[in-house]
Amino acid sequence: MKENRVNADKMIQAGVLAWLIPGGGHFLLGHRALGAVFFAAISFTFFFGLALGGIKNSVNPFTNRWLFLAELGTGGYTVASYVVNLKVGEIKPQQLATPRDSNTPDPRDQIDPDVYAKYVSFYPAADVAQIYLATAGLLNLLAILDALTRAQTGGLPTYYRELAEHLGPPAGGKP
Amino acid sequence: MISLGGGPLAAYIPFLHAWPWPVSPLAHLLLFLPLAFCIALVYRATRARSASELPRATLITFVNIVVGMSLIALAFFVVYEVVIRVM
Repeated sequence: MKENRVNADKMIQAGVLAWLIPGGGHFLLGHRALGAVFFAAISFTFFFGLALGGIKNSVNPFTNRWLFLAELGTGGYTVASYVVNLKVGEIKPQQLATPRDSNTPDPRDQIDPDVYAKYVSFYPAADVAQIYLATAGLLNLLAILDALTRAQTGGLPTYYRELAEHLGPPAGGKP
Repeated sequence: MISLGGGPLAAYIPFLHAWPWPVSPLAHLLLFLPLAFCIALVYRATRARSASELPRATLITFVNIVVGMSLIALAFFVVYEVVIRVM
């Protein structure tokens, strides 16, 4: 009973930390090398996408809510980026929203075109940025699930049953 | 007190402005490679028992993704060419 409680606490801590910082959950569980790999790969994907797309247009629930939902997989980065988006620049995130229908006035018409061009990226950079950012969020979901599994199984990966059947004992010794 | 409201500090935040990077059609395609590598790395890391298993497994998965996607792209190109000629 007590052991189950400890496992559940560890799972929650690892999951939340992995959501906040990619690889954080693995680091907490003692898989430091794997944590560093997750951190490097997911951080590169997220920040490269952000650099291509610009923070105003790319981390904005008013312009593309589905992209924002995917980005929330990397929760810490996305929340921090959205706070930065709110705090800096001459445009508010709401001003970049696409109108719901043709009868609603377009808030983008109120923005000076030069200011608009300064903050908003266009094809093809904007498309590549969206792919990178959404992929970063979804990859971190995989990392979170893996951290939860490793917390539950004492260090074995998500597909540990299949791996045990095919690979035998671990190559590096320590899991 | 440092003001972020469009003040001087804002100019030093690299992700605030869109990066005016001239992405040519070739560069557009090549940007697929680092993304495929990161996907291969993360996917393989979720299946690895230790980091020492990663380099070989990641390389194999990366090559599989690149070759697979290239073949799909080639197939679509052939279909496109055939459709264009028939039409």
